[in-house]
Amino acid sequence: MEKDRFRFKRADLAAYAAVLLLAAAALALTFGLTGREGEFAVIYKNGEELRRVPLSVDQTFSLQGDYSNEVTVKDGRIAVTHSTCPNQDCVRQGWLGDQGGSIICLPNRVEIRVVSSGEADIIIR
Amino acid sequence: MNTTLLARSALLTALALALSYMERFIPLDLLVPLPGVKLGLANIVSMMALYFLSFRQGAAILVARCILGSFFGGGLTSLAMSLTGGLLAFLVMAAAKRAGCLSVYGVSVLGAAAHNLGQVAAASVIMGSIYTFCYLPFLLLVALMTGSLTGMLASWLFRALAASGVDFGA
Repeated sequence: MEKDRFRFKRADLAAYAAVLLLAAAALALTFGLTGREGEFAVIYKNGEELRRVPLSVDQTFSLQGDYSNEVTVKDGRIAVTHSTCPNQDCVRQGWLGDQGGSIICLPNRVEIRVVSSGEADIIIR
Repeated sequence: MNTTLLARSALLTALALALSYMERFIPLDLLVPLPGVKLGLANIVSMMALYFLSFRQGAAILVARCILGSFFGGGLTSLAMSLTGGLLAFLVMAAAKRAGCLSVYGVSVLGAAAHNLGQVAAASVIMGSIYTFCYLPFLLLVALMTGSLTGMLASWLFRALAASGVDFGA
């Protein structure tokens, strides 16, 4: 086997450039999904909408599933402040207030997504 | 399959399991607060299998590692995540290696990026949400760094292995 396959080559820069390009493309594609301050948080469980909470009302509630997430709304932002899930990714994702952002607790199959009030389905509800 | 190949595959499977278990204790996500961020040290084993054994052995080691790894913690969700990420990374790395113009660095970086892409896609299916893709750009940037690191480790390891004269090939 040629040993030069084990050392950095100039051609490797093409791989770096390809990943950078993919990142830029992904950023551009998802840019429309994110943006300004949101007004509601939509809670999804198993991919289905469970409830909507206004970010203007400070409150704390819990989401039960395989595990339990304690969700806190404060000063227009939302966070999972405590969770019984094993990896605690949801807690580490911290506070979220911008529209399009989401907090995910994969073990509990919960997603919290912040949306603006401009979306039609909120007015209906 | 001969006994030597079986023993080497078992050794690499154990190594991959140990590495993927060990890296849970490296709190990389404190540095980069994104879900699913990790070093991907077990990917070095996949690369080792690709470069020194064969595509088939590498794939078998990967699947064995993912299944056994889910017993040690995680369960079905993490099995689905690690299998999609791991297999996509493995296929991309095999193709990149076969293309012939990249070194272990390029192969490793592409593998890390493919791993993240696979995981985000799996998470998207599990959660029934397209929004998981919002993490992708940032995960890909992290993949550039973790892929470089594992590429460097693989570069050292493979050169040492080649220089040692030990015949690790199948």
